[in-house]
Amino acid sequence: MRHLLLLLPVMMLGISIWGDILARRGEYGQWWYPVPGFFALLGLLGCVALVAVSKLLGHYWLQRGEDYYGDDNADV
Amino acid sequence: MCSFPPAGVFLVGALLLPLVPRRVRPVAFLVPPLASLVLLWTLEPGQTLTAAFLDFQLVLTRVDGLSLAFGYVFAIVTLLGGIYALHLKDTGQQVAALLYAGSALGVVFAGDLFTLFVFWEVMAVASVYLIWARGTGRSRQAGLRYLFVHMAGGSLLLAGALIHYNDAGSLLFEPMEGGLGAILILTSFAINAAIPPLHTWLTDSYPQGTVTGSVFLSAFTTKAAVYALARGFAGWEVLLWAGAVMAVYGVVYAVLENDIRGILAYHIVSQVGYMVAGVGLGTEVAVNGATAHAFHNILCKGLLFMGAGTVLYATGRSKLTELGGLWRALPLVLGLYMVGAFSISGFPLFSGFVSKSLAVYAAEADHRGLVVLLLHLASVGTFLSIGLKLPYFTWSGPSRAIPVGRVPWNMYLGMGLTAAINIAVGVYPAALYGVLPFPVDYRPYTVAHVSETLQLQLFAGFGFWLLRGILKGESTITLDTDWFYRRPARLVYVMAVVYPSQFFAAVERLTLHLVRSLVRASRDPIAATAALFRRSRQRRVAWPQPNAVVYDPDRYRLPVGVMGLTILALFVALVLWLLLSR
Repeated sequence: MRHLLLLLPVMMLGISIWGDILARRGEYGQWWYPVPGFFALLGLLGCVALVAVSKLLGHYWLQRGEDYYGDDNADV
Repeated sequence: MCSFPPAGVFLVGALLLPLVPRRVRPVAFLVPPLASLVLLWTLEPGQTLTAAFLDFQLVLTRVDGLSLAFGYVFAIVTLLGGIYALHLKDTGQQVAALLYAGSALGVVFAGDLFTLFVFWEVMAVASVYLIWARGTGRSRQAGLRYLFVHMAGGSLLLAGALIHYNDAGSLLFEPMEGGLGAILILTSFAINAAIPPLHTWLTDSYPQGTVTGSVFLSAFTTKAAVYALARGFAGWEVLLWAGAVMAVYGVVYAVLENDIRGILAYHIVSQVGYMVAGVGLGTEVAVNGATAHAFHNILCKGLLFMGAGTVLYATGRSKLTELGGLWRALPLVLGLYMVGAFSISGFPLFSGFVSKSLAVYAAEADHRGLVVLLLHLASVGTFLSIGLKLPYFTWSGPSRAIPVGRVPWNMYLGMGLTAAINIAVGVYPAALYGVLPFPVDYRPYTVAHVSETLQLQLFAGFGFWLLRGILKGESTITLDTDWFYRRPARLVYVMAVVYPSQFFAAVERLTLHLVRSLVRASRDPIAATAALFRRSRQRRVAWPQPNAVVYDPDRYRLPVGVMGLTILALFVALVLWLLLSR
């Protein structure tokens, strides 16, 4: 059952890339239109890049302790 | 001629609501949005309602395709939010929500800048109550910061409107040409549209709002600003790039966010980026795309805030680090939340698919390759945070034995109806495209488009599966541009409060001292003057005592005589000078 569940996305990917190859693109062509599976690559690399950039920025610069701005529960 | 302003329905409703019996109020809350939907239905583009104010002819209502589209969705989301809040027994929040919705409608139907400004300010004041009503120290402080930022924005709008009136000679709210007035107005709109770096009021305060209040918060302020930008600044190139950048900015921060409503708040920034970019393009199809995406996003983000709010309502928790394993306790909330998550991620058959694709298509049609890629990247990040990270770490995993309270039926009903509309729009896009300001010649369901969306999201899902270990929530906050006004708060407090109050105290002391001296001196001016002269010989000035008998005619004979003589001499000298100078 678990394998079947894993198979489902793989099948959907296969179908979508096949659809990609078959699809006739709109008139406003971009350079990536002829590349089959371009959006799959963009999805994966984009996801990894977003996580990497955020986590690096966060850990080395932006993330601070929850009480960084002082005790927010104090009365104004 | 339109007979009654749509905003008026809500404002009258807000006034009357406290007068109906307390038990009936939650249901009575639904009357104004229903009535305004009926009123909006009867309005025709081109209708106006004007009123004289001082020397101005104010355009209280101006109806066209753009304002009607926003008007419809504002009324719908108020109705849905009202159903979600039927269990609420807080008249203050109900009145504030009606005022907030009414002023948002007032903004989208305002035909002149003065009317716009008034509703803009009412919107800020009414909405802050929905943050404060949560009653925590954190919400009080976040609300105060929210109010400060919006008051600054409102002042910019008023200043811009006055300068614009001075330059253009008209207060009518029409597309802006440029100049200082337009730039001030644009800045004020950019604050409300949460364009970075002016966005932190949103991400700071929306997670602190009440459970039901944040549903309304997520709907009105930013989208009314998108409307205002579309009305006044369509085609301003700077907005195209601001929009594309903010779309990615929001998702980058959402990855680091720990609060579930904080994640949603950063995704408001991201989603508004699509709309701002569409407005920046300024073509008919782009403004259609921005409007469609605003319409979708109000309903979708409303649903997501309802879902996250329900988790908060039932568990009292909203941090990913404190949540987990709720699938057994709140399965239906997960299902309804996921409708919103799929919708905002742009999955086929959900409303986001038909609106986001129109916005991206507009950029493609304008040959903006980089903008298109940035928007696709933002879409990946949206699915990553809202479709995967948030539900995964909230609902999945082993049960944490979190005590879960009962969720009222009306919350489910509100979420269910909102989810149904999200799906209905996705399945039947013509319903959405029919209310857009310009005719739509676009078909979202093409093989290419469906396939690229599925690839994008499924592989983003794959990426999440690989990286899920490092994506779990961390109990941290993330520095953002609010650092610039929050971190130096102590310094600002000392500079703006302590020093001025010390200065005022010193001035007060000095003034009182002077007044006392004058009072004493005026009781007997001559003795006081004499005392001043004696000062050189005597260190302490001997002021006459109040009750002492000080009058002695002989004592004053000489000084009064000298003064009289001096005046007489001056008078004679003046007369002589006048006579001689002829």
